[in-house]
Amino acid sequence: MFLDQFVNAIGTGVMLGSIYAALALGLAVTFGLLHIPNIAHPAFVVAGAYVVAVGNSCGFDPLLVALVALVPFYVAGLGFYEFYARLFERRGAADTMNALTLFFGVSLVVETALLIKFGTNQQSVSVAYVGQSLTIGLLSLPYRLLVPALLAPVMILLLWLYLRFTHAGIAIRAVAHDERALSVSGIDPRWIKRHAFGIAAATAVVAGAALIIIGPVDPFGGRLMIGRTFAVVVLAGMGSLPGTIAAGILIGVSESMVSAFASPSWAPAVAFSILLATLALRPEGLFGAHR
Amino acid sequence: MSDPILLVENVEKSFGALRALGPISVSLKAGERLGVIGPNGSGKTTLINCLTGTLTPSAGEVWFLGRKVTDLAPHRRARMGLARSFQIPKPFTGMSVLENLLVPLDHLHDVADPRARAMEVLASVGLAGRAGHEAGGLTQLELRKLELARALAGRPKVLIADEAMAGLSDREIDDVLAILERLNESGVAVIMIEHIMHAVMRFSHRIICLETGRLIADGLPDAIANDPLVQKVYFGEQARH
Repeated sequence: MFLDQFVNAIGTGVMLGSIYAALALGLAVTFGLLHIPNIAHPAFVVAGAYVVAVGNSCGFDPLLVALVALVPFYVAGLGFYEFYARLFERRGAADTMNALTLFFGVSLVVETALLIKFGTNQQSVSVAYVGQSLTIGLLSLPYRLLVPALLAPVMILLLWLYLRFTHAGIAIRAVAHDERALSVSGIDPRWIKRHAFGIAAATAVVAGAALIIIGPVDPFGGRLMIGRTFAVVVLAGMGSLPGTIAAGILIGVSESMVSAFASPSWAPAVAFSILLATLALRPEGLFGAHR
Repeated sequence: MSDPILLVENVEKSFGALRALGPISVSLKAGERLGVIGPNGSGKTTLINCLTGTLTPSAGEVWFLGRKVTDLAPHRRARMGLARSFQIPKPFTGMSVLENLLVPLDHLHDVADPRARAMEVLASVGLAGRAGHEAGGLTQLELRKLELARALAGRPKVLIADEAMAGLSDREIDDVLAILERLNESGVAVIMIEHIMHAVMRFSHRIICLETGRLIADGLPDAIANDPLVQKVYFGEQARH
């Protein structure tokens, strides 16, 4: 009985953590690499979930809808960055507080738009695999968690390859270190940051698909994710993609174990307890480099 | 005499009520070695920032290769061939030495094989053996060399070396000077901003001296070294005796 509970708590935690990583991936780019605390990212994820729900109501698979919606979300990301850059960066007023204020406002606008269009009713998707489970020995893996959990490693691997081996990806990593050095290298830092912001927004629709496959979503669902996604990014080490999945899984497994063996009401405190403990011992995060 | 490739005409830069630079006019010919000296706060860095586009002048004009570039963004000036290295090296840490060079090279359309060009530049500054190493782990001399290599990657027409030898030993200074001399012999004009006087005197064809944002002397190294005003503001009153 104990072994059964333990194995399933680990399995659920790994899947949950992988999903946390998917939710936090866009923030790992905007906050971790560009140093723009895009507090609206969870709201983008929820908007992505709604787009997926609409597509699913027309009979399409959520993941297929997410793939198609990558482009409009990327373009929207370009627009949001340009808005931010014109308001603050061009005037030399791009600080953390201004960015937090702006993107808090953006998240409220996104929530309100969803509320006006869809009301307060929760949205969900209907797919054949929700409700079924994969059983391996003692381990039972519900597909409604397993499918979204598999998205994170795929997204992170693709983004990691992009940042590692493409011209634009290398420039994104460079702008994370020094914008001025990039500009005297002949590259427009604003173009690179806009592109990176677009990529981050595009990840939100895939994360949204993951979110709505797990369960119904309402316009305010993003608020619950803000703290946890920031915790994943900081714990990972700013901008580290392998760190993002490791941090997500660490938090997911810890929460799952606490829920299984103590009380579910303690679980939300786990992310921040781990974050505080790690930062005390290793301020640069799990995979972050010394600066 | 050839026309100047870089021309600063009556440039001024003020920060609020404080005038940090100018009005100042300076020119640089193709292949020239220009030394820029002056005490701390004399406006050297402000001048460089106006040249490279990091700062927009409050008044005056900057011309490069016959084109007015006063309001042109830094990355556009860099693409035209105006390169700079920073006083404090700014390597892209977390990336290899080779990747540091690929950042500018990958975005240049006239470089057929960026990796080959990167290795060629690294070899020219003596860093070929460190290509695969993480840039954050380099020594101070190697960081200076990487800074120069990154500036040289795009085959610039002008290199502005901002205190490229600060903090180096005499032997290391010779090493960096040799790189700059080879570079200049290949046709690149070099502006050297430096506090190490024997290095700037040895390297430069011509030297200008700034003081409180104004040009107080412009001439051959020997003339500058013996200029009473330069001696007074730069070397101190004692140096005249």
